[in-house]
Amino acid sequence: MKALMSVGALIGAIALLLLVGMILDVVPSNTVRLVEGYMPMQMLFEVACFVVGFAGLSFLLSAMGMAIPRFWQGIGFWAFVLLYLKFRVYPPIPFSVRAMYGTVSLVAVFMWVSASEEDWKKFKQPIMNVLDAQSGANKLLRYAYLILIPVLIGWTSFNSMKPKSEEPIELRTVHPAPPASTKVHGKTYTLQTSQNPYRVNPEGKYDQEYSNKLIVEQGMGRLMAPNANPWDEKNEGYLKYVREGGEIFFQNCHFCHGDNLNGRGLHAFAFNPIPANFTDPGTIAQLQETFIFWRVSKGGIGLPNEGFPWASVMPPWEQHLTVDEIWKVILFEYWHTGYYPRTWD
Amino acid sequence: MMNTSMGRKAGFVLASAFGLALFSAGPLVLTASAEDVPEGFKKGELAAEPSADMIEAGKRVYFTKCVWCHGVDGAGDGPGADRLWPRPRNFNQGTFKIRHTASGELPLFDAKKPIPGQNDLYETVTHGLPGSAMPSWEGILTEEQRLQVLSFVTTQLVKDRKFTDKQSETQTILQLADLKPKEATDESRKRGSELIVEKKCVECHGMEGRGDGNAFNLKDDWGFSIQPADWHKCWNFRGSRQDPYNVKNIFRTFSTGVNGTPMPSFADSTSVEDRWDIANFVNSLCERDALGQPLPIDPLTDKPKINFVVPSNVVEGEIPADMENEAWQKTPKRYVAMGGQITHKPRNFVNRIDDIWVRSLYNDKHVVYLLEWDDRTKSVAEGKLPWAPTEVNIDIKEQEPKTGEEGSIAAHQNNYTVYNDAIAIETPVKWQELPAPIKPRYLFGSNEQFPVDIVKWEADGSIRAFKGTGWDKDFEERDSYEENLKVLKSEWKNGRWYVMIQRPLGNKKDQDYDEDTLFEMGKYIPTVFFAWDGHNGDAGRKMAVSAFYYTFLQPPIPQEVYIYPFVIAGGIVILEAWVLTRRANKRKGKTL
Repeated sequence: MKALMSVGALIGAIALLLLVGMILDVVPSNTVRLVEGYMPMQMLFEVACFVVGFAGLSFLLSAMGMAIPRFWQGIGFWAFVLLYLKFRVYPPIPFSVRAMYGTVSLVAVFMWVSASEEDWKKFKQPIMNVLDAQSGANKLLRYAYLILIPVLIGWTSFNSMKPKSEEPIELRTVHPAPPASTKVHGKTYTLQTSQNPYRVNPEGKYDQEYSNKLIVEQGMGRLMAPNANPWDEKNEGYLKYVREGGEIFFQNCHFCHGDNLNGRGLHAFAFNPIPANFTDPGTIAQLQETFIFWRVSKGGIGLPNEGFPWASVMPPWEQHLTVDEIWKVILFEYWHTGYYPRTWD
Repeated sequence: MMNTSMGRKAGFVLASAFGLALFSAGPLVLTASAEDVPEGFKKGELAAEPSADMIEAGKRVYFTKCVWCHGVDGAGDGPGADRLWPRPRNFNQGTFKIRHTASGELPLFDAKKPIPGQNDLYETVTHGLPGSAMPSWEGILTEEQRLQVLSFVTTQLVKDRKFTDKQSETQTILQLADLKPKEATDESRKRGSELIVEKKCVECHGMEGRGDGNAFNLKDDWGFSIQPADWHKCWNFRGSRQDPYNVKNIFRTFSTGVNGTPMPSFADSTSVEDRWDIANFVNSLCERDALGQPLPIDPLTDKPKINFVVPSNVVEGEIPADMENEAWQKTPKRYVAMGGQITHKPRNFVNRIDDIWVRSLYNDKHVVYLLEWDDRTKSVAEGKLPWAPTEVNIDIKEQEPKTGEEGSIAAHQNNYTVYNDAIAIETPVKWQELPAPIKPRYLFGSNEQFPVDIVKWEADGSIRAFKGTGWDKDFEERDSYEENLKVLKSEWKNGRWYVMIQRPLGNKKDQDYDEDTLFEMGKYIPTVFFAWDGHNGDAGRKMAVSAFYYTFLQPPIPQEVYIYPFVIAGGIVILEAWVLTRRANKRKGKTL
C-alpha cells in the first residue's frame, strides 16, 4: 500500500512540476503532445493521473505528519482544475467555457468536502476560526478580509461598468443551405444529380469506390497511400486529375487555405474569420462534392440571404477558373485531406 | 555566390593551417585548429547518412506535401512556385539560409537527432519560415515524418553537394547553447546602434532598420530580387523559429550569415561581445506595446494578435497634426493585418505591405486617422496607369500560373512600372441599417442601396473620395466631397509612411446621408483599410486589403461609473458586519 502510494506521490509531484512549468512558461504547453483525434481521452487520462498523484501525495504527507487540512485540499484542487484548463489545454479554450467547467468543479469540490457531517465540520473550521478571531493571526486576517473584500468587489464593479470597446460578437452559419441548382459558365448544374466528372477509374468511368481507395491515409501527416503517387507519370484517371487539381490549388487557393489545406495560408492571418480548414472533420467531410462546386464557383458573393449571417471573402472562382479546373481542385481537396465526399444516399 | 566562395576559401585556409600545424609539435595541433575557427564556433563532425528506409519513407512525405511548391526534382519549381515571392527553395545547390554553421557550409542535419539547436533543417520544417509561404509543419507531420522527408531531400534532391562527403564538406558550428546572451542594457543597445553603422548594416537595412536601404539592387544566388529584413517586424524573420523576440535568433543569423543571399557572416570580423550588442539593439527595434513589452503573438498565425476595434479618443478643439502630441501618444495603436487582394483581377499574390498601424482621434466635427506603415520605397507615379484607378478589371490578363523562372512574379519584383503609394479607408454608408448578411459583400460596396464611402490618399499628395456600389462595379468619384477632406500629415521617412487623414464625422442634417458614413459616438463602425505599394506595381484593385475592423469613438466615462462601485462596496461592508454579529451572537448563545 505504502509503495503504491509513493508511486502515486511521485506521479503527482512530477505532474505538478510540469504544470507549474507550463504556467511560468518554462515548459511549453505542447511538451506532451495532444494526439490528433484523441484529445478528450488523453485529457481524461491526464486528469486521472493527477488525481492518483494527489491521493498519493496527501497519503504520504499525512504519513509524515504534515497532513494538509481538508479546507486547503478543497481549495487547492479547485485551483488545480482552473489552472489545468487555462495552461495545459491547447489550443486554448475560451473563458466562458472555462468558467462553466470551473463552476461544475466547484460544485464537485463542495460535494466532496461536505460528503459527511464530520468532513463538513473539518472543512468549515478554518473559516469559523477566522470569524471568531481568537488568536492574533486570525484577528489580523479578519481585518484584512474586512477591508480587502469590499475594495476588490468595488474595483471589479468599476471595471465592469467602465465603457469598453470590445469587438462585437458575430455569429455565422458555416454551411448555408445550397440552392437546388447553379449556373456556371452558362451551364446549369443540378446539385442533387451532378457528379465530379474526374472521379473516374483508368477506364474513364465514374467510380467512387476506386477513388476512395487511392486517397491519402488518415492519421498524422495524412500521407498518400503507398503506390498511389499522383506524381507518377503513368497515372490514368483519378490520380492524374488529382495532380492537375493540386497544381490549380497551389496556384490559386493555398494563399488562403494553406499548404496543408488547414486554412493557414500566407494571407490567412489578415482575415477574420480565418479561411476554412478542410482538414477539420466539420468542413468538406460533411458535404457533397456538388455543394463544394457551388461554393467554389459562386464564392462569398453567391451565398444566399437565408443562410445569414455569414462572413466570407471567397471570390466567385468561375471568374478565374474553368468548370473543369473547379472539379479537379475539389477532387484534390478530398484526396489531400483523406475524406470521402458525402453522397446523396 | 559570394558567400559560398568565401566559405570555401575559409575552408581552404583552414585546411592549410591544419597541415602546417601537423608539422609543428604535437600538443600545438589542437590549439592551432581551434584558433582558426571564428569566435563562438567549434569544429563538428558530419552526421551519418540516413538509412535507406528513412529516405524511402521521406519520398512519400515529399510527394504528398512538398512537391507542390518545391517541384519533382527539388528545384523549387513546383506548380505553386511562379506565383510566390520569395520563390520556394531550390534544394539542388544545397544552399540553405538558416543555420548554425559557418557561412557557405551545409546546415546541420542528422536524421537521428531532432534536437533544437543541433538540427537546422529539422527546425526549419518544424517552425516554418515566417514571411514566406513555408508553413510550420509541427502538428501536421510527426517528428519521424519530418526527419524522413529531410533524409529524402538532403540525399536525393541536394545534387551539387553531399552532406556526408568529408572531402568537400566541413562543419563549423556556432555554440549557441553555450554562449550566454549579454544582458540587454541601455549601454549594450547603444553600442549596438553604433556598431550597425560601423559594420554597414544600415546600407541595406536602412537608417531605422526598416529594410529600405539599397532595396533594389540586391539579388540572391539565383538572380531574383531580395529585400533586406525589416527589423521592426521580427515575426517575419525567416529564422525566428516561432520565437520572434528571442535575441538568440538574431545573434545566430548575424554570426552565420544567410547563405544564398547578400547577407554575409560577421563572425570573422566581429567579436561575440559586439555581436550580442548588435543583436540586442536589433531586437529592441521590433514593435512593442505601449509599455515596451513584446507584442502577444497569435499561435495560430505566428503574427501579432489582432484587436479588431480601433478606439478613437476625443479631443477638445483642433485635432493635432503633430504625432508627438500627447493626445496621439495616449491613443492606443492598433495592428491591422493586410493580405493580398486575391478576390478580383488583377490579383495581388505578393503584397509587400503586410500590416498598418492605426490610431484615431475625434472632436465634435472630425475624425482623424493616423496611419503608419513600412514601405521600403517611396513611390510617386512615373508611368500612366493602364486602367482608371476606379475601374474593375475583370477581363485583365494576369501572369500565367506557370511561366518558369523568367516569367514568374519573383522575377518581376522591382521591375514594375512605378505607381503611387496610396492608402484608403473604407466605411459602409448605412452601417446602422445593414442586415447581418450584407457586411462581407461590401468589400467594395454591396449594391446601390448599401454603398460604401472610400477616402483615398495617394503619394502625389491627392486625396479623393469614392463611392463603391458593388464588388463588380467601378468606383464613382465624388468630386464634391473632397473639399471636406484634409491631409494633416504625409511623410515618408526611412522606410515608413506617416499619413494623417481627416474627414467629417458626418451628420444627418448637413451632409448627404446617402453618401457619407455617419460616425456615431459609442457605436462600432465597420472599417476596412486598403494599401498600395507603387513599386510593387500596385494600382487600382491590385492592392493589399484588411479584414473588417471597427472604428469606435470612445464616449466619455459617465458619472455613475464613479459612484456605484462605492455604493456596492458599502453594501458589502454592511453584509460583513451582519455576518460577524450573527456569529458572535451565536457563540454567546443568543439568537436573533
